[in-house]
Amino acid sequence: MKRILIANRGEIAVRIARACREAGLESVAVYSDADVHAVHVRVADRAVRIGPAPAAESYLSPSALIAAAKATGADAIHPGYGFLSERPELPRACESAGIVFVGPPADVMERMGSKIGARALMQSAGVPIVPGEVPRDQSDQGVLTAARALGYPVLVKASAGGGGKGMRTVASEAEASEAIAAARREATAAFGDGTLYVERLIARPRHVEIQVFADTQGNVVHLFDRECSVQRRHQKVIEESPSPAVSATLRRHMGEAAVAAARAAGYRNAGTIEFLVEGQGDAASFYFLEMNTRLQVEHPVTEEVTGIDLVRAQLSVAAGEPLPWSQEVLSQRGHAIECRIYAEDPTHGFLPQAGPILLYREPSGPGVRVDSGVAEGDEIGVNYDPLLAKLISSGETREAARARAVGALRSYPILGIRTNVSFLIRLLELPAFRDGHLHTGLIDEHWPALSRDAADPDVPAEAVVAAASAVNAGAGRDHSSRSSTAEADPWSTLGRWGR
Amino acid sequence: MTAMKRRTIRLVRDEDEREYQVAVVEERGQLHATVDGRTFQVIRDGDGRVRVASDRTVTAWTVATGNQRWVFVDGDVFLLSEARPEERTRSRGHHGSLAAPMPATVRRVLVKPEDTVHPGDPLIILEAMKMELPIRATADGVVRAVNCREGELVQPGVTLVDIVENGSNQQ
Repeated sequence: MKRILIANRGEIAVRIARACREAGLESVAVYSDADVHAVHVRVADRAVRIGPAPAAESYLSPSALIAAAKATGADAIHPGYGFLSERPELPRACESAGIVFVGPPADVMERMGSKIGARALMQSAGVPIVPGEVPRDQSDQGVLTAARALGYPVLVKASAGGGGKGMRTVASEAEASEAIAAARREATAAFGDGTLYVERLIARPRHVEIQVFADTQGNVVHLFDRECSVQRRHQKVIEESPSPAVSATLRRHMGEAAVAAARAAGYRNAGTIEFLVEGQGDAASFYFLEMNTRLQVEHPVTEEVTGIDLVRAQLSVAAGEPLPWSQEVLSQRGHAIECRIYAEDPTHGFLPQAGPILLYREPSGPGVRVDSGVAEGDEIGVNYDPLLAKLISSGETREAARARAVGALRSYPILGIRTNVSFLIRLLELPAFRDGHLHTGLIDEHWPALSRDAADPDVPAEAVVAAASAVNAGAGRDHSSRSSTAEADPWSTLGRWGR
Repeated sequence: MTAMKRRTIRLVRDEDEREYQVAVVEERGQLHATVDGRTFQVIRDGDGRVRVASDRTVTAWTVATGNQRWVFVDGDVFLLSEARPEERTRSRGHHGSLAAPMPATVRRVLVKPEDTVHPGDPLIILEAMKMELPIRATADGVVRAVNCREGELVQPGVTLVDIVENGSNQQ
């Protein structure tokens, strides 16, 4: 393996390009017409256009990606997360083109990608699963009947789903029809497959996942837990490792179950077993939720506490090398927290935002890592996911990592487009978050405190207005065009990657 | 030697639509801004960074585009607009929420003219960034016109459904 095509965009494509460079491999970026000037294109060794802006005709097109790999002589494809990362078509197309796929084989992906099939496999491997119904009758009426039989509240999910798309909570019969129809439409639009299933909704659950890694020699290890309970509409917002709610005994049991799950699946490369955790301490129960057959968005928190570069490990395992570590040498040290920075407006229903990034400065300092895919002068469009960057803070203790995250967010100006930065600060400052009392309903439960106008009372509104009066169209620089490219130079904003 | 420059601007804070009178005096590179009677020394560090000093110093990041100014202070973002004398503050009609909040594709149209609607009823399902965004009725009323078709790409600010609210005098 000498040259890796990165079949993705944004921060994860930038992250993978960095790992390639450090591993002495060349990177090939791909881009749609909307991404000609994107950071991920600028940091790679080569770049290939793969199609127009709509993802279906570019980042979601296996044939465009294979053609790009062939044209550039790439001998491997890293899918990142999202897009085609969990679609068996890509590894299958790679195989017939003689290209290495950095991930599991197509058949394993297929098996674990079907929530119905994965549940059955986990059950047979002795991994606990959430009680649920798989309606054989897949009509809306059939799904409704299954929901009724299980008893409300239930969760309706897309069988092919992930990331909360095609998923609906149904509290009562009254909401069921609209929810099922919406889940079906989203599932069909997002995954091209409208198959649904229904499971019991666990009250105040925690969402804890285990990172696993398997090589082609049959070695399987786990790299401990990530706490991902802080979610909004099933989208993770803040993740951390280790989970403040998982005891040492529970962690060991979950790790063993995750390794058993990966073995049962015949898994290869990096993967994640997601569990729902119910109850407290050693007595808590955990249930298999799903397996993500790819790198997770939140992989950096595991990297920070284990000291391992998961993307480099992915590349070496894909090249056929055995895992460089045994279970015994792996450990967690300190604490890491990841905050997802989205272009969205928390004060208006978290609507995704489009527009120019007029000013952008990343924080830095001890224990502060920013994985980003944007730079000053970029135009954020409506075609793709609104994730701009991830702020990862680490420290000796959870409180140290939390305080670092707050401090870093307070020095992370992003102007020209609304983001969730102030919302993240309020979330990190919630007493319930500080105390580690996390569950998936945390944001809804504390919404009144999170949504108030929480501008720092020590900063008078008049001072803000005074600051604004210091810039005007005459005296200030005009940022409305791409003329500010000198400041948007990726080698200054991503200084630590300079070559 | 720079002469003393004086200008007066009016800024409207987006969050609460409050209007502020600002008098800016610039003398020998020193900038002082007086906002509603409070005077601050403003130091421009360059590159968008300014420090605002009165009894304590606040570091802010600012950028201007058109007549808008964005300000970042300690994690909070403020959007201010320079108010022109003839201009009133941005009006928010009752049709505002029946428009797409961003460029989006119309996924489904759930109502037709003459339909009766109630607050919260979904009228249009938009799709943007792979998420469904329902446009819901904000009041009791009757649909007068649907201004979009399924599959159409709609721009923000354009009213997608006209509703005659019950009790209104609109015809």
